[in-house]
Amino acid sequence: MFIDGATFRRLVRARELLADTALPVRAIAAQVVLSPSYFIRAFAALFGDTPHQFRTRVRVDRAKALLAGGRSVTETCFELGFSSLPSFSGLFTRWVGAPPTRYRTSLAVPGLRILVPGCLGMLAQLPFGALGNCR
Amino acid sequence: MLHIKLTSIMVEDQAKALAFYTDVLGFVTQMDFPVGDYRWITVAAPGRDDLQLALEPNANPAGKAFQQAMFEQKIPVASFESTDLDEDHARLVARGVAFTQAPTTAGTVKIAIFSDTVGNLIQIHQAL
Repeated sequence: MFIDGATFRRLVRARELLADTALPVRAIAAQVVLSPSYFIRAFAALFGDTPHQFRTRVRVDRAKALLAGGRSVTETCFELGFSSLPSFSGLFTRWVGAPPTRYRTSLAVPGLRILVPGCLGMLAQLPFGALGNCR
Repeated sequence: MLHIKLTSIMVEDQAKALAFYTDVLGFVTQMDFPVGDYRWITVAAPGRDDLQLALEPNANPAGKAFQQAMFEQKIPVASFESTDLDEDHARLVARGVAFTQAPTTAGTVKIAIFSDTVGNLIQIHQAL
């Protein structure tokens, strides 16, 4: 698929709208003047998520940041506009692999863990001998 | 004596990134170890493990901001050499890859740019 400059800008704009508004996907497609089916296909090819998946990813990322910042699970749930705790908890668990309560308590120092080191630093944490095959 | 063995790019989602860089691009996994909440993953071109690319999480907000800004300015973060750019372009298009620049001759190289689906634009180039 080739995405020309104008379409690229429209898709970037649509991504902002998905992250920052609650507009339905169809309305966002209309706002950036793309047909809904092309919009979904091109968005997924460019960003690796469908518009709906992208919006969910953003909400989960924000939830992680709020939890890491010390907010309670209930506060996080309602701040992000989820209708109920079970729906928030279920979605969070599917995406993160741990329920929000466990994620929150796993943070030894709230707010610190999201600042992952420059990840080349992870080299130092590899098991002994891991680099043996790359001389 | 120093030599260049390892470089890295930030990725939005390491599992998706590994799938794209291997299944779609055709690189080979060199290392894949869990490190805390993340993974240490490197890939290399088949038969060419002299230079590995680490797929590192963009979980640091500064990294994510940098990555997003580069993407929105349409600036590729890496350039991979192709021995036959038109063939690689056709192969990747057939696998659903989105190109933001079709193969173009620019001076002494032919280049094209695509999205790696995990937050980066990647250039491919072939010397003419």
